[in-house]
Amino acid sequence: MKQIILALVATLAIAPAALAHSKAETTTPANESTVEKVEVIELRFDDPMRVTAITLTGPDGDVEIMRETGLDPVTEFRAMPSAIMPAGVYSVDWRGLSADGHPMQGTFSFTVAD
Amino acid sequence: MEGLAPIDGWALAAIIAKAAGYAAALVAMGGPLFLAAFRSAPDDVLRLARKLAVIAALIGLAVLALRFGIRAARISGMGPSGAIEAMMLSFVWDSPLGTAAIWRGAGALLIVAVLIEGTIGIVASLLGALLIAMSYAFVGHSLGDPRWILAVLVVTHLLAAAFWVGALAPLHRSAANKDGAALLHRFGIIASGTVAVLVVVGVSFAWLMIGSFSGLFGTAYGWTLIVKICVVTGLLGLAAKNKLQLVPALAANKDDAGGRLRRSIRMEVVAVALILLATATLTSITTPPVNL
Repeated sequence: MKQIILALVATLAIAPAALAHSKAETTTPANESTVEKVEVIELRFDDPMRVTAITLTGPDGDVEIMRETGLDPVTEFRAMPSAIMPAGVYSVDWRGLSADGHPMQGTFSFTVAD
Repeated sequence: MEGLAPIDGWALAAIIAKAAGYAAALVAMGGPLFLAAFRSAPDDVLRLARKLAVIAALIGLAVLALRFGIRAARISGMGPSGAIEAMMLSFVWDSPLGTAAIWRGAGALLIVAVLIEGTIGIVASLLGALLIAMSYAFVGHSLGDPRWILAVLVVTHLLAAAFWVGALAPLHRSAANKDGAALLHRFGIIASGTVAVLVVVGVSFAWLMIGSFSGLFGTAYGWTLIVKICVVTGLLGLAAKNKLQLVPALAANKDDAGGRLRRSIRMEVVAVALILLATATLTSITTPPVNL
């Protein structure tokens, strides 16, 4: 019984590597890329995804972004930063609800260079 | 590991709540199934089956509400305050979980009819059990292809599992009764058929999700399923020991056969709890290999 519990705990504790219930999404800017400027932030999904929350965090804290895509499920989500982004490392953290009802989340980061 | 979603406190809360929801659904569905199969069981055993089914149905509704809150909090990214955010809750309601909630809610209310003695109570509560089982065909991995085959498999799997899980407490009570051996013996005969169905449809569903041996051994879904199969194997061993050794010992009035059988049934309950946790993990944070 102890081994079974250990196995279950081990399964739960393994570090996450991929997204459940959707093939790995592609993003603009691409994950871990370096770009000169950011005109748009895009997330592309295989199946429609309702992106319910998204934040962009930079060297000076949260950066305001304007959603072009509403709250309907989409395969391509777009948002624009509302101001010019200074150089530094940025990360995007998003939450959503997939077509089969699973709550989803993901994160990606990129660097803005001078 | 491939096909594993990010795990945080909310994901763990979602898994535990889902497992609790499974347990409530199985006990609620199992009550009417037990009553239909064992109408001539002693009154105290039948009363227990009825009472547990109704309590489980009501707990199931509460767990469902809790799961709505957890899901809203998860998609809101706002933490606990997201659990009561109207817009997030409306998104969850519009999702497949909302459809499932309607069927599950209607099923739970019909299960309460199990308190009505006679044919009407049995028929209404059996219909409730069917609605609850069907509600699971509207969410998650059951929505894959081939949709109708997956739906039939999941509904059959749940009803067969409910017959077993819902019978555990009444059987535990019967094992303490002087003349309980006949009921336990009859359960063993019926269960040898229903458990075979449970396993065959479960394996079929799993195969449609996995599709290859590399999918079984190379993914989070596959490994979680292997953990589930290991515990299921242990549970089948316990059940076989009960049927082949302990129930005949009880029938022969051997010393402490009732006590040993009751202990064994309590261990079955622990195994079922672990299986439900593994299943909730499987359906919450892993991606079926066919979708990778």
